[in-house]
Amino acid sequence: TLRLICTTTVVQRKNVGASGPEKYTEAFIKKQIEEFNLGKRHLANMMGEDPETFTQEDIDRAIAYLFPSGLFDKQARPMMKHPTEVFPEQRKIQWGEDGRPFHFLFYTGKQSYYSLMHETYEKFLNVQKHQDQLIAQDLPLQKEKRNLAGSRWLTKIELEEMLLEKLSDDDYSRFIQLLEKLVALPCADIEENYIQKFSKEVPVQLQKVVIEPLQYDEQGVAFSTGEGKRKTARATAVVYDNGTGKITVNGTDVLHYFPVLQDREQLLFPFQFLGRIGKHDMVCTVSGGGRSAQAGAIRLASAKALRSFVTEKEVEFMRQAGLLTVDPRVKERKKPGQEGSRRKFTWKKR
Amino acid sequence: QLDRGCALHTAARAGLSSVPTRDVPAERPRAVFHTSESDPAKHTEQHEGRLYSIPLEEVKAVFPHGLPHRFQQQIQTFHEARVMVRRPALELLAYLRSSNLAHPAVRYVIYGERGTGKTMTLCHVVHYCWRQGWLVLHVPDAHLWVKNCKELLQSSYNKDRLDQPLQASVWLKNFKTSNERFLREMKTQKKYTWGKRESTEEGRPLGEVVEQGLARVRSASDAVGVLLREVRLQSHRGSCRLLVAVDSVNALWGQTTLRREDKSPVSPEELTLVHNLRKMLRNDWSGGAIVTTLSQTGSLFKPSSAYTPHELLGKEGFDALDPFVPIPVGNYSAKEFESCYGYYLERKWLQHEKAHTEDGKAELQFLSGSNPRQLDRLAGPL
Repeated sequence: TLRLICTTTVVQRKNVGASGPEKYTEAFIKKQIEEFNLGKRHLANMMGEDPETFTQEDIDRAIAYLFPSGLFDKQARPMMKHPTEVFPEQRKIQWGEDGRPFHFLFYTGKQSYYSLMHETYEKFLNVQKHQDQLIAQDLPLQKEKRNLAGSRWLTKIELEEMLLEKLSDDDYSRFIQLLEKLVALPCADIEENYIQKFSKEVPVQLQKVVIEPLQYDEQGVAFSTGEGKRKTARATAVVYDNGTGKITVNGTDVLHYFPVLQDREQLLFPFQFLGRIGKHDMVCTVSGGGRSAQAGAIRLASAKALRSFVTEKEVEFMRQAGLLTVDPRVKERKKPGQEGSRRKFTWKKR
Repeated sequence: QLDRGCALHTAARAGLSSVPTRDVPAERPRAVFHTSESDPAKHTEQHEGRLYSIPLEEVKAVFPHGLPHRFQQQIQTFHEARVMVRRPALELLAYLRSSNLAHPAVRYVIYGERGTGKTMTLCHVVHYCWRQGWLVLHVPDAHLWVKNCKELLQSSYNKDRLDQPLQASVWLKNFKTSNERFLREMKTQKKYTWGKRESTEEGRPLGEVVEQGLARVRSASDAVGVLLREVRLQSHRGSCRLLVAVDSVNALWGQTTLRREDKSPVSPEELTLVHNLRKMLRNDWSGGAIVTTLSQTGSLFKPSSAYTPHELLGKEGFDALDPFVPIPVGNYSAKEFESCYGYYLERKWLQHEKAHTEDGKAELQFLSGSNPRQLDRLAGPL
């Protein structure tokens, strides 16, 4: 049988593993894993695929096909995942049958944290000893600097997950200070493996969007295309060079298609921002949405097309001005028990 | 000052960015988009794109009722009437100059999209003809006769038709102000009886017919009909040259919004004014010209994207007006746009700081699409 399980986002969840004694016994988790595997085979049979080579991606696709959901939050949709991903890690019982705890620091209360601090300090002392040895032998100290720019330390929540224990802010900051001190030493390369357990790669900040080069049509005029959308409207724009500022929308002139000044101002914005009002011609097609949505879609499409004509710095300016971001606002769904998406029914006292 | 050609236009444009002061060097930037030639007879392609001014007394005499409302407001604001010389108007003037008056009257239909300057072109031509001494029969907006009429009387002349006393009397008053001279000189050809007791003898000046129409409002429409007939006969004989200028001529062949007391709709033929005007528009007389404009703005039951003669006139109107010379009017060209913009700048109509820059000009051109009406409306709040 398939069990539909939901879970919340990683950042916001309470660290259930660190909070109390076990809520799920080991036997329970084992049973869940068996059920999951069985369910996986059933699902593969249902979809007509080979049960042996049914991966998690296939499972996700099958579930999305069998239980389509229009909910916005991806985490709220039906999903089927391995129980280890679903049930958070739990701390096993820390003491034996005679009541004697396994770990020597159990009675401090935060045994894993203190043991971690002890370990780290041990490494620190190791490095210092190694350094002293090198100085004594008059060998040059290795000066290979770790690249700190692309990495960050674990966050408090991530550390809590690792230790399965609650931490306070103070504890966390002390641990990070210790790590920093360790890394600052010149011979810290010896303990590189240990340090890497606590650092993470920072993903590249700017997603490098490939700017397409200009294309040239028969007469040798440079042009470029762009696509844009807003609410339900989808637009494609072709911006030609050496133009007079004429704009054609769906075959008709812009004055006829957008009689309202506001829409034309929206179209003007990318060109005005770059100072190229009379220099480009534009031919666009747009469908869906309403009057304002179509204007916004064309604006986005023309801004994307103009990227090819313009230096990188100006592309960055455009991005900061908000010309290249898709407007995420869409119509909010109406909820039951309310008249609209936010408006409640008139409240009657009796 | 007149004969400065386009060379000066480009040379002085560099100096246009400075705000003109009131001393002598200011004359040079002014002359670029103005011309002091106020006689339309002398306008040629050289003056294309430039604005010429009509003295205010002439404006009151020639256009008691012809100018568009916004233009009248602009005249009041700037204390001067400046009309741009554009290519369609020059074309029309050339045709009029070269037309042979012995032939039947040629019909010209000015058409174009909304707000491109058809009525202004018509006014330019009217001014030219008035200066030349023609008798000008200017109907400001034929749509006024087919909608929003409060009083409809059954015509005494013809039982089927309906009279519109108010509109007829208003038009007669305006006609009187513009053509006083002709009304004194021209004489009636026939005896007309207005009612049981009033009649006009043969040989009386036409002014009396007009007075009769104004005094007895009930018979104003008939007075209009009589006037049109007389004027047509006289110009056919050759005693004067006649210009029939009708704005929004598509109203005469469309539908009306008027209803009789028994709520049955009225078609345009049943209105006396419309009937007589249609007779004028037939080209069975000679010695003049007929210049008309199509207009979608006031038209009834026509889609807003229609602007060609075929769409706006309908089959009936097209057949009635056929053959005619079509004259299309479009948006401003680059030169015309620059003159208009320069004029607004010079009269300090554009107060916004950014409007004085090149970027501001490019913005205005983009947003208005070089459409005269859009530009006028845009420049208003600035």
